[in-house]
Amino acid sequence: MRRIEFYFRETAAGIRRNGIMAFAAMSTAFIALFLFGLALIIAREINLVIEAVTGNVQVAVYLSDPVRPDTVTRLQTELQALPAVASVEYENKDEACARAKKLFESNPAITENVPCEVYPASFRVTLADTSQYGQITARLACEPDPTTHDITCSEPGVLKVLDFRDILDRLSAITRVLRNGVLFIAVVTLISATVLVANTLRMGMFARRKEIGIMRLVGATNWRIRVPFLIEGLVEALVGAALAIITLFLVKVFVVDQLRGRIVWLPLIRNGDVLAITPWILIAAAGVAIVAGTIGIRRFLDV
Amino acid sequence: MISLQNVTKTYKNGVIALESVSIEIEKGEFVFVVGPSGSGKSTTLRLLLREEEPSTGEVFVAGKNVVRLSSLGGIPKLRRNIGCVFQDFKLLQDKTVFENVSFALEVIGKPKHVIDARVPEILDYVGLGEKLNNYPDELSGGEQQRVSIARACVNRPLVLLADEPTGNLDPNTSVDIMRLLDKVNKIGTTVVMATHDQAIVDAMRKRVIELDRGKVVRDQSRGVYS
Ligand SMILES: Nc1ncnc2c1ncn2[C@@H]1O[C@H](COP(=O)(O)OP(=O)(O)OP(=O)(O)O)[C@@H](O)[C@H]1O
Ligand SMILES: [Mg+2]
Repeated sequence: MRRIEFYFRETAAGIRRNGIMAFAAMSTAFIALFLFGLALIIAREINLVIEAVTGNVQVAVYLSDPVRPDTVTRLQTELQALPAVASVEYENKDEACARAKKLFESNPAITENVPCEVYPASFRVTLADTSQYGQITARLACEPDPTTHDITCSEPGVLKVLDFRDILDRLSAITRVLRNGVLFIAVVTLISATVLVANTLRMGMFARRKEIGIMRLVGATNWRIRVPFLIEGLVEALVGAALAIITLFLVKVFVVDQLRGRIVWLPLIRNGDVLAITPWILIAAAGVAIVAGTIGIRRFLDV
Repeated sequence: MISLQNVTKTYKNGVIALESVSIEIEKGEFVFVVGPSGSGKSTTLRLLLREEEPSTGEVFVAGKNVVRLSSLGGIPKLRRNIGCVFQDFKLLQDKTVFENVSFALEVIGKPKHVIDARVPEILDYVGLGEKLNNYPDELSGGEQQRVSIARACVNRPLVLLADEPTGNLDPNTSVDIMRLLDKVNKIGTTVVMATHDQAIVDAMRKRVIELDRGKVVRDQSRGVYS
């Protein structure tokens, strides 16, 4: 107990003494961790969009009504047999209906008046080799319709084929560029934050070199000397993390939530999505503290 | 208690501070280390504290080969058995007399009831029972040195190392400090004191080890300065 009290008191005194430097370190940690969280949220948002648009499949084969069970079994086996196909999942009308309702749950008006029979049943196909997409259209005898640009098929029971490969590629490219761009800035600021935290620790140790000298002289262990500084670094990083998490929630409430309902087809991140990235922010903060602690107190490692 | 065996200390810059020095000091002895400036007195004390390592030779303190001690546990433990007093007192200006002394126990993890019992006791012992709440800059040099002796002794060390403890004090105050060190010695603490102070060495008539250019040139019981 006494030891904890000692560390706590030393840490508080350290941060107070180091006021401006500690502030600079904390605000940089805050900005860095915020950007890091933002990159994760952007990636999450674009994944939601991809899922909304494509249902995470590359090709959808829609079946015409009425759907006959023997046609379903036969076509599924045949599609599965194609070398280009990795997996085929059958989605019946109820499942399609449920997925649409879930997708637009933030905007129930869209799906409210649509009866489930209206949704087409489909095969949702993932390709093993996306360039071999032609195998599917050839097998089902599909042709692009010159007027509607739909790909309609002559195979009995098949209505049309939707090819999501292009849009998937584009969305993934956007994700990559946006996420990696923000991630890059995040990493650079995380490094600055680490250096700043390390520097506050070093300045703190320098300011207290006389005390440290006496501690050594009377036989305080290395850890006893270092731990207050390590805690100080951890506290600074965690304050930055807390501010970053709060700010991400504020962004969600004041930016994302304002968009909700305006663009009906656009699924938006929810509180749960922000919550899901907080562990990563805390891990990044701990990383900053550990690295800063290691380089900040290295000079004082020897007794 | 203390044993230097054929110790040579060469600093990184090539200065040979000690050369083939062998010294044996028994438990409870009071020893002066004298010699001209640069003769290796402080280096000797730093070796005992394991602030420096000998280049060759062995150093034993309280039965432990100090060269073999690890910085994780062994060295701190050694230093808990050694009190240190310096010419410049090394007190923390933003702490009171009480806090300066309690700090030494606090940072080695002593419980509060031990601190509350021992600190006033030792401050009484050195004659500062009335000045617990003063700050160092409110004290005379002699009083500050008493605080530093209290800090060195509060953990009841086996050995007290003093590097020119009277270097900053006038002759009368120096005599008071020497009485105090003698008192600490009388309760069984081994005292090793490096000094330039001829009057004190001559008055005390203790064992004198004289160094010159890193070599022991004289080791005399009940000796004088030169
Ligand atoms: N850290 C160091 N690095 C290099 N050389 C040192 C170091 N400390 C001491 N020396 C050298 O070692 C020699 C012995 O120094 P030491 O401090 O032991 O002498 P001393 O007897 O205590 O002298 P004084 O009476 O002036 O305090 C001197 O020549 C000094 O310059
Ligand atoms: Mg000296």
